[in-house]
Amino acid sequence: MNGKDRIARHLNLGISDRTPVMCQLSIGHYFLHSGIDPVEIWFESGAFAEALVNMADRYSFDGVLINLPGRSDVYKNSVKEIQRSHDEIKVIWKNGHYTILPFDDNPHYYTPAGERIFPTFDDIDPEQLYYVEPWDVTEVKFPFFWGFDEHREKSDFFPDYHFDTIRKVKSLAGNRLSVHSEVFSPWSQFLELLNYENALMAIMDDPIKVKVILSQLTEGTIDLAKKQALEGVDAILISSAFAGAGLISRDQYNEFVLPYEKRIISEVRQTSDVPVYTHTCGSIGDRLDLMLETGTRGIDTLDPPPLGTVDLAEAKQFLSGKVFIKGNIDPVNTLLYGSREDIISDVTRRIQTGKPGGGYILSSACSVAPHTPPEHIMLLAELAEQHGKY
Amino acid sequence: MENTEKELFSQLAQAVIEGKQEITVALTNELLTLGTEPKRILDEGLMPGMEVVGIRFRDNIIFVPQVLISARAMKSSLAILEPLLSKSDISGAGTIIIGTVKGDIHDIGKNIVAMMLRSSGFKVVDIGIDAKVEKFLLTAEQEGAQILGMSALLTTTMGYMKTVVTRVRDDKLPYKIMVGGAPISRQFAEQIGADGYARNATEAVAMAKKLMEEFKTAS
Ligand code: B12
Repeated sequence: MNGKDRIARHLNLGISDRTPVMCQLSIGHYFLHSGIDPVEIWFESGAFAEALVNMADRYSFDGVLINLPGRSDVYKNSVKEIQRSHDEIKVIWKNGHYTILPFDDNPHYYTPAGERIFPTFDDIDPEQLYYVEPWDVTEVKFPFFWGFDEHREKSDFFPDYHFDTIRKVKSLAGNRLSVHSEVFSPWSQFLELLNYENALMAIMDDPIKVKVILSQLTEGTIDLAKKQALEGVDAILISSAFAGAGLISRDQYNEFVLPYEKRIISEVRQTSDVPVYTHTCGSIGDRLDLMLETGTRGIDTLDPPPLGTVDLAEAKQFLSGKVFIKGNIDPVNTLLYGSREDIISDVTRRIQTGKPGGGYILSSACSVAPHTPPEHIMLLAELAEQHGKY
Repeated sequence: MENTEKELFSQLAQAVIEGKQEITVALTNELLTLGTEPKRILDEGLMPGMEVVGIRFRDNIIFVPQVLISARAMKSSLAILEPLLSKSDISGAGTIIIGTVKGDIHDIGKNIVAMMLRSSGFKVVDIGIDAKVEKFLLTAEQEGAQILGMSALLTTTMGYMKTVVTRVRDDKLPYKIMVGGAPISRQFAEQIGADGYARNATEAVAMAKKLMEEFKTAS
């Protein structure tokens, strides 16, 4: 059985030959370990697709998550100069702005004064919002445009190249790996757009305007998810990193997250069979019931203490038969800092708890940290072979 | 007069708790017009309000959005009061340099801690995110600080706290050091030789008070 079939069984809450394995790797991990130049990984669909598949193969993962948008080669026309030093790469653009690519972390785009630009809440006219892509080459803008000057109408908002990485990953490994794409939750887009704190205050200041904004962003997200489904992905992940108890209450989740994610999921379901699942990191132990109400097919990460609040056995009991679950290995204390013995005992326990009845994908909770030793990650598939057989 | 003042103090505390910026500013101005000393507005209106905010946040009754609007309200009142407060009024409880360490840009938690410390009478100099050891030390020297507070949310950056602690000890600098952030634990704090650790902003205030005492005893 290959990875694609193995994961498919679990997405459908079933069992397979053994527990599948699939982790989201941080971009910094690809920079450090894929052997491909960070500039190419960040700015080129083909190179990122190669990095995704190479690393999935190296770690014997059963699937990949494509967590950057496809890119256009047009970026090259805007490059003035690329400077490399021992710990970062600086791409200077013709407009005077620049992008810093640390050797082990996500890049960011800066003005000549070294700042990042964000609109204010008052600047936002909800009518003009559709989808905010935080990892666009020039990051968030209002009104949003792609790259340096590509303005597009809502009716044709997503450029064709946006789907290139999906296409390339599919052509490299689509017949054997489970290929997952990503859309951002409207709540995440809103936080990224206003640089977090201002967005969090906005829900207190003018909740009605925030809801109009979220509704607008929901439309673009539905459009994107449907287009990804048409590209033939095996699953779509809603990235919703800011919906845990570290940042908002259950009530706020109910108001500003749930209805919008629910609508995305039900709309996608009307036109395709591709499962949609949710990635929310941090403390979600108090809101698993609300996450279920979105109609999600699966819940990803399930951070254990200290970073989160999820006990896998409890979560399994509560969620079993309702949604698939993915995650729960502590990426920090176990995968990054743990000894070989720590990892073996921790991961084995996860497999034993998650495996019964199926619907479980063995994974780090949230992404694998940049400096995690590759041999630690390789242990996951080995242990799934040893202890994960059905 | 006594009564009006008392009533206004309690309204001011309530406005801070509810994060009502305009009301906070209006009440601050009203108290000043009545001739109330700026220091008392801080001690008897703003600080008791923020204290409630801290406790409710610790107990998961309110969450980050509410804390942020309370902080914003408090800040706008402080902007009026600060030029009127004497130097000793501002740094009465001591001076703390706080920052998120090199490589790390998470600052929501650090900002909340800074604000709670401020509202407990400390002078807090916030050196922002991605802060290197030199910035901590230079600012501490310029400000005559007693405590350094470091925040880190990433495993890739928490190690940098040790760089700062080691430098402070090697250079035999007198500063007390406290650390925090989601992945930090008491054990980790001990391991790197920090003087204190706090899980949240309310505990951070208690820890800062303790370290300030220790600093005084030591010198
Ligand atoms: C918001 C957030 C972001 C925002 C930050 C916005 C900002 N301006 O701060 C953004 C999107 C930019 C971000 C980026 C990244 N993030 Co982030 N992020 C979070 C998130 C969702 C919440 C953090 C937060 O603000 N919590 C709320 C505050 C109030 O809590 P707090 O910070 O813990 O602070 C409290 C206490 O810790 C304490 N405290 C804090 N500081 C101090 C200091 C002192 C002196 C004391 C005494 C106490 C103290 O008091 C505070 C108040 O009570 C967490 C997930 C989570 N649940 O923690 C991930 C998380 C922290 N991020 C994570 C990661 C991996 C990243 C990225 C590397 C991802 C990426 N590659 O893009 C980047 C890193 C960028 C960088 N170089 O820093 C991981 C870290 C894993 C790890 N430990 O290594 C987390 C845990 C998510 C996860 N589960 O994987 N992130």
